[in-house]
Amino acid sequence: MSKFLKLAGVSVLSVSLMAACGGDESSDAATNGGNNNNEDNSNSDTTEETIGDGDIELVFWEFGNTGYDKLIEEYVADNPHVSINLQNSDMNDMHDNLFTSISAGTGAPDITMIEEAQIERYRNAEDAFTNLYDHGASDVEGEFLEWVWKNGENAEGNFLFGLPTDIGPTVMFYRTDVFEEAGFDSSPEAVSELVKTWDDFESVAKEIYEATGKQMTDAGELVYNARRDQSTEQYFSPDGELIIEEHNQIKDAYEYTSSLLNEGLVGDIPLWTPEWFAGMGDGTYATMLAPAWMQGVIKDNEPEEGVWSITTMPEGAGNWGGSYLAVPAESENPEEAYKFIEWLTAPEQQLKAFQGYGLFPSAPAVYDMPEFKEYEDEYFGGIATAQVFSEAAQAVEPVFKGSLYYPVDDEVKQAIDDVAGGAEPQGAWEEAIERIKRIIER
Amino acid sequence: MEKPKKTRRMSEKKSTALSAYVFISPFFILFAVFGLFPMIFSFYLSFFRWDGLAPMEFTGWRNFQFIFSDPVFYSSIKNTFLIGIMGTAPQIVAALFLAFALNSQLIRFRNTFRTMVFLPYITSIVAVAIIFGVVFNNQPFGFANYFLSLFDISPIRWNAEYWPVKIAIATMVFWRWVGYNTIIFLAGMQSIPKELYEAAKIDGATVFQQIRLITIPMLKPIIMFVVFTATIGSFQLFTEPLIFLGRGLREEGITIVAYLWRDAFIYNSFGTASAAAIVLFFIIITLTAVNLLITNRIGRSKNLG
Amino acid sequence: MAQVKKETGSSKFSVKKLFVYLLLLFGSLASLFPFYYMFVMATRLNREINQVPPPFTPGADLVNNFLKVLDSIDFFGAMWNSFVVSFSVTIGTLFLCSLAGYTFAKLEFKGKNVLFVMILVTMMVPPQLGLIPQYYIITTLGWLNELKAVIIPGLINAFGIFWMRQYMKEGLPGEIIEAAKIDGCSNFRIYWNIAVPMTLPAFATLGIIVFMHVWNDFLWPLVVLRDPSVHTLQVALRALNDARQMDYGMIMSGTFWATVPLIIVFLLFNRLFIESLSEGAVKS
Repeated sequence: MSKFLKLAGVSVLSVSLMAACGGDESSDAATNGGNNNNEDNSNSDTTEETIGDGDIELVFWEFGNTGYDKLIEEYVADNPHVSINLQNSDMNDMHDNLFTSISAGTGAPDITMIEEAQIERYRNAEDAFTNLYDHGASDVEGEFLEWVWKNGENAEGNFLFGLPTDIGPTVMFYRTDVFEEAGFDSSPEAVSELVKTWDDFESVAKEIYEATGKQMTDAGELVYNARRDQSTEQYFSPDGELIIEEHNQIKDAYEYTSSLLNEGLVGDIPLWTPEWFAGMGDGTYATMLAPAWMQGVIKDNEPEEGVWSITTMPEGAGNWGGSYLAVPAESENPEEAYKFIEWLTAPEQQLKAFQGYGLFPSAPAVYDMPEFKEYEDEYFGGIATAQVFSEAAQAVEPVFKGSLYYPVDDEVKQAIDDVAGGAEPQGAWEEAIERIKRIIER
Repeated sequence: MEKPKKTRRMSEKKSTALSAYVFISPFFILFAVFGLFPMIFSFYLSFFRWDGLAPMEFTGWRNFQFIFSDPVFYSSIKNTFLIGIMGTAPQIVAALFLAFALNSQLIRFRNTFRTMVFLPYITSIVAVAIIFGVVFNNQPFGFANYFLSLFDISPIRWNAEYWPVKIAIATMVFWRWVGYNTIIFLAGMQSIPKELYEAAKIDGATVFQQIRLITIPMLKPIIMFVVFTATIGSFQLFTEPLIFLGRGLREEGITIVAYLWRDAFIYNSFGTASAAAIVLFFIIITLTAVNLLITNRIGRSKNLG
Repeated sequence: MAQVKKETGSSKFSVKKLFVYLLLLFGSLASLFPFYYMFVMATRLNREINQVPPPFTPGADLVNNFLKVLDSIDFFGAMWNSFVVSFSVTIGTLFLCSLAGYTFAKLEFKGKNVLFVMILVTMMVPPQLGLIPQYYIITTLGWLNELKAVIIPGLINAFGIFWMRQYMKEGLPGEIIEAAKIDGCSNFRIYWNIAVPMTLPAFATLGIIVFMHVWNDFLWPLVVLRDPSVHTLQVALRALNDARQMDYGMIMSGTFWATVPLIIVFLLFNRLFIESLSEGAVKS
């Protein structure tokens, strides 16, 4: 979900666009006889606008930088009976408001974006949403990646909460300068070959540490996430049972992370802190196991081109981020709302969202489009980045998460944090399991 | 009381009482509309299991049994007490001294100092989070760790170790609220006649004697007010632990309100959250009652100073 | 007064005074620093803010960052909404709380203590869980997306009543009220003509606190003011947050300029403070 590319660039662009289009917009409104109050506040551009003059107004909540306003203009031009009121807010705020509205039974929009992680919160609240299968969603199922689609369904697979927009397939970002300093060939192919398995990852980490004194990656969290996402079973079974102790995949991921931490090969730099951002710029760590949308963050913190590059992650890929478009049950026009979101998530529109704001498509048809395939990025050494990500996207394994997935995940992360602080891994793990059980008992 | 006067008094009393009820009615009417229902709803919810979305399910005392068997709930009570005492008690004393200094005729630039002391109350919480993140950073370059390294103390994990978490949060509480209480004390000090201090000075009283013999007795209702509101405030501590610990809210630093907030909005467990809210409510009532009893005995005065 | 000032005047040097100044200076700097840092961030690029150690001097992007804010949100429209809300709540609260505070401090009536304790008890309920039922009330009244959804509930202020009562209890001499009663003044006249002018410092303090609090509050406005045309500043500023990455330079720029009016308001109230003080001096 790279809703953010380089914010600076985007903003400068939209300033000039606004200057150029400002006049057009008002004359449009005048000729159509539109008397929309909101357009008087000409600079409310990114927070809200009602687009179109149709009698059927659809309220659409979104977060981040999607550039959907441009696409909506296209849609209402072809569907003049519809107008769409697009309201943008902070990601957490939007989800909190959605929760409050649904809980109180009033105030939800016609269409809402739901972040991939947040959808778990609504797993058990089918009443609050329109089943998109009732509106013909099964016709478009084939256009989307299987794992993304499944994630928008209930456990039984007969209720669809939302249509997928973008995704966040994970890859290995790495610093070419650090790899070269350690005496490795730093081309993506060579690095991919060099770090093929997690065992390789560990041994390369040792070599890099001996040669350069630098750590392999920022923190235990992303290593754990990477290995967790490659597990076919995670915390819950589809019938809601906690299975974290029933299989070894999660425990293995945890132990692997702990041993890297104990050997000092992984840093103890918490994500989203200033020192974490700074580390991208000064090369404190050699790799970062992160999703497509992290590109923007890296570019923002390391202005120099060609330092960072991208290759596949050892033993597969994972996903972090992405969104769905859902229609709350409260909507009076679910039919129209569905028609719109089906259009918005169709491959042609997903390509435009990718080109405009870097939203990584969830429809594999886009991956074969020439405009997408040929997308190269000078910043990452001129490689076809879109292709690396699309390979990752196709390698993701579908897995059932469950409504308490993230609270449980937080407890495992706390255990990893404890290990980073010197705790004994087995003890920290047992404590985490204890806490997890109490969360579920509530 | 003599009989003839009584009737007149009664009617005067009646009219006074009538205007009194009219004067306080806006609060009670507004509260009945906007405050009472949420309060009752919380009590009601504590006997149900509810995730905020699906229908509620009656569970009797189960929510209370759960929180009383949860070690984290006890930790949250303990943390609230400890952080509250560490962050609030020194803060009230410091605010009193600061207010005294800012009220003193001796000090120049009083307005500038007053404005500066009040700034924490209006500084954006995002900026505060970033700054305190740098000060109490786990890495060796964090201000606090750097300072400790001068005394050969190795870096502390401020967001994970038992006492450091509490010290960091208490510091934040102190910092954010000391100016606020200073302003309140200052307003109270305005009503103390300056002549009293002049007279005391002529008698050769030291500054501490002035504070003890004039300021504190004259300020009693205001001190009552500050102690009372700060006690309630420290039991409702929420923002500081949340921004310092993030949504994970580790056991070392979680407070009661943070505990119930997390139950409700992260774990979607509104029943246990409400039960915790009710326990907190009774803790505060008990403590305030004790608080009042002690202060009243010391001050030998009737209801609330 | 003049004479007093001369005697205690600041010409005399003493260690004690130096100590007080040092203490005040240290306190002020500690208070000022995060505020100052807010300004520093407002003048910097995100990348610069993320450096270790962070920059402590202003950079070159003050205007640039603010232009980005203006481009993303209707800053001045939101500021107007904030002003309307904060002003209404402050005026309303000052009136209602002082009236109720006066009543509890100086009037005798049945059930006084019980009612007062009830007011105090309302402060003891943690407000976090009230969100959903309160939202429900607002939607039932049809107030969603109207400023009154923030203004009217904002008038409930047990803290303010308690404060006014405590202040008036000590600050209002009973004899004056008795004298006014004998002159036949109604209770409201006594409140309005005697109690209010005599307790202006309490008004100034409560005014500052309420105004700042309402201006900076975003939790409740966020829930009930969804349409950008009614966004207050704090709500509008939230929309500057991106999904994953924050442009702190831009966010802090918006935040900083949203705080500047507060300092002006503080200084205005502070004046009221000082004026009422010198008035008191004249009276005595």
